[in-house]
Amino acid sequence: MKLMIVDDSNIIRNRISRIMADAKLPEIEIIGTASSGTEAHALFQTAHPDIVTMDLTMPEMDGVECTTLLTNLDPDVKILIISALSDKATAIQALKNGAAGFLYKPFTDDELVNALLELIEE
Amino acid sequence: MSDLSEKDIEIFIEAIGGYFKQITQEAASIGVAYLAKNAFPLNDFTGMIRVSADYDGALYFSAPSAMLRHLLTVMKETNQSEENLLDAVGEIANTISGNARKYFGENMVISIPEKIAGLASMLNEQSRRHAYVIIIKWKHYSASLIVDISRLR
Repeated sequence: MKLMIVDDSNIIRNRISRIMADAKLPEIEIIGTASSGTEAHALFQTAHPDIVTMDLTMPEMDGVECTTLLTNLDPDVKILIISALSDKATAIQALKNGAAGFLYKPFTDDELVNALLELIEE
Repeated sequence: MSDLSEKDIEIFIEAIGGYFKQITQEAASIGVAYLAKNAFPLNDFTGMIRVSADYDGALYFSAPSAMLRHLLTVMKETNQSEENLLDAVGEIANTISGNARKYFGENMVISIPEKIAGLASMLNEQSRRHAYVIIIKWKHYSASLIVDISRLR
């Protein structure tokens, strides 16, 4: 399955990439990263990922808005929100807008791998 | 408008402690919060999150470059450019304030991080009379979390 990583933080994008490389999961291939919702929208239309990790707090277009855009383009895409926003209302709103899962920052390597595996096994 | 209570400040202490524990697998030593007037313990890099809606003010995480480089090493990040050190303070400030919303709720609206290299002189001008300062010691480094927030409603 093709994975796209969306986060405005360099170090988080790199960390997710590195964790996935270390995990050596043959079923997941990283096809690109985006540092904003706008970039993610453009990349999504050319790379057609199956799964996306999505930050919420980003400039210009936030992660909830971007999730809505991407799920409108492809209702089958599985989006894992990765955010520090820990209130219930934010998680509910993200799920209502098409996200398939939610992982809170800060996260460990194992938590990320398990969250993605759960997502693709659904 | 009212100042945050000790219980409110405890939320930020738990959040910063949890961050270090989760990322480094090692507990940081978190000092007791104290009220500071104009003399804030700032470091090389500072991440700032503005809060709005039912709250007003900002939260700052300020750390020396050596501590940030060490944290990036723990995260296996080899690019330790100034851009990534700024990214790190912004991300930590964002994580602490985001985690605090579990307690404060969605009506504590938080901004995207603003990142400052060098001493953040504007902080002294912007902050209210009483801001809480929390000192974080990890390995031999010392950083600060400054909670300069009031409750409006």
